[in-house]
Amino acid sequence: MSLYAYAIIDSTVGVEESIKGLSGAPVYTIPYRDIGIVVSDLDSQVQIKTDESILKHEEVMEALMDKFTVLPMRLYTVFSKKEDMLLKVKDHYEDFIENLDKVRDKCEYGIKVIWAGNVIKDRIINAHKNENASAQPEQSGAKFMKEKFEKYKIDKEFEEDADRCIAIVDGFISKFISEKKLEKLKTDNLLLSASYLVDNEKRDDFKKAFEELKSSGGDLKYMLSGPWPAYNFITLKHSGDGKFGGMDLVETVLRHKDPKEKDEK
Amino acid sequence: MSKTIETDSLEIFANEMEKVKDALPKKIEANPENAEKGLAKLVLTLIELIRKLMEKQAMRRVEAGSLTDEEIERVGETLMKLENKMKELKEIFGLKDEELNLNLGPLGDLL
Repeated sequence: MSLYAYAIIDSTVGVEESIKGLSGAPVYTIPYRDIGIVVSDLDSQVQIKTDESILKHEEVMEALMDKFTVLPMRLYTVFSKKEDMLLKVKDHYEDFIENLDKVRDKCEYGIKVIWAGNVIKDRIINAHKNENASAQPEQSGAKFMKEKFEKYKIDKEFEEDADRCIAIVDGFISKFISEKKLEKLKTDNLLLSASYLVDNEKRDDFKKAFEELKSSGGDLKYMLSGPWPAYNFITLKHSGDGKFGGMDLVETVLRHKDPKEKDEK
Repeated sequence: MSKTIETDSLEIFANEMEKVKDALPKKIEANPENAEKGLAKLVLTLIELIRKLMEKQAMRRVEAGSLTDEEIERVGETLMKLENKMKELKEIFGLKDEELNLNLGPLGDLL
C-alpha cells in the first residue's frame, strides 16, 4: 500500500474523518514536528492519472483550506513508504515553515485575459507590408536579414501593444494583492495568464476590482478562478522545481463541469 | 472556501488553454527504444536556443544601425545557412518545431 500526498498543513491534528480522497480512501494526517502531511492510502495498482483524481485532489484541498494553511503537493505525488515521505519532509522542513508563513491567511486567484491577438497581429503585418512595398535587395544574405528584421519588428510591436494592455489590467488589480506572477502571450490570443496572492481580508476588494475591470467595456475577455491554495507562490530552496502543482491542469478539468455548480455559495 | 470560475466566455478560454496545453514542452524522453531521438531532441533544442539568440542579437544590431551592408550580408548568409541546416536535422530525426523546447520549472520554458 502506497501513500498519496495532498498537502502540507500547519497543524499536526487529524483532518475530519468525512473527507475522502482518491478511490474513496479516508484522508488523514501524518505529523512531523509541528506540521502535518495530509495523505490517503493508495493501492499501488490503481491508475491515478485521471481527471477524477485531479478533481478529488482539489476537493480535498478545498476542505483543508477551510481550516488550515495549506501547501499543496504536486498532483500525483505518491510515496511507496511512509519512511521515504518523512525523509523528504525532513529535508524540506525549513522550506515548508517559510512557505507556510508566507501564504498564511492568503489564497491564490488566477486571472486570464484574452484579446483579439490574431486581428492585432494581422493589422501590424498589413501596416508593415504597405511600408515595405519597395524592391527587395538582390543579395541573398541581405534579403534573408530584411525578412527576419520585418518579422522582428512585427513581433516587437505586438509585444509592446500587449505590454501596454497588461499594464492597464494589472494596474487595476495590483493594489489588492501581496504577490503576483504574470505570463504574457502564452498564445497570440491569450494576452495574460496571471496568478495573484491575495490576503484573505482583501478577497472581496480584489473580486470587486475584477468585476469593475470586466464591466469596463472593450474587447478583452476575462476569466477569474479561485480561491486556490498558493500553487504558484511556493518555492523550495532545496528543490530543482519550485512549483508544487498544476493549476492550469485543474482548471482544464474543471471546465468539463457546469460552471454554475462552482458558484460561491 | 468554495471555488469560483467566473467568465462569460468559458468556451473561448477552454479552447485557448487547450492550445497552451498542446504547446507545453515535453520532457526529454530517453529510453532504449528512442535514445537517439531523445538525445537529438536535447541537442537540437540547445542549438536552436543559441541560433535564436544569435538571430535576436543580429536584429538588435540592425535596429541600432551598427552593421554595414557587407556585415548584414555576411550575418544574413550565416543565419540562413544555420536555419536551413536545422530544418534538415529536424527532418532527419522527425522532430517538429514545437518539440524543440524544455520546461525549466520555475524559470519557464527554454524557448
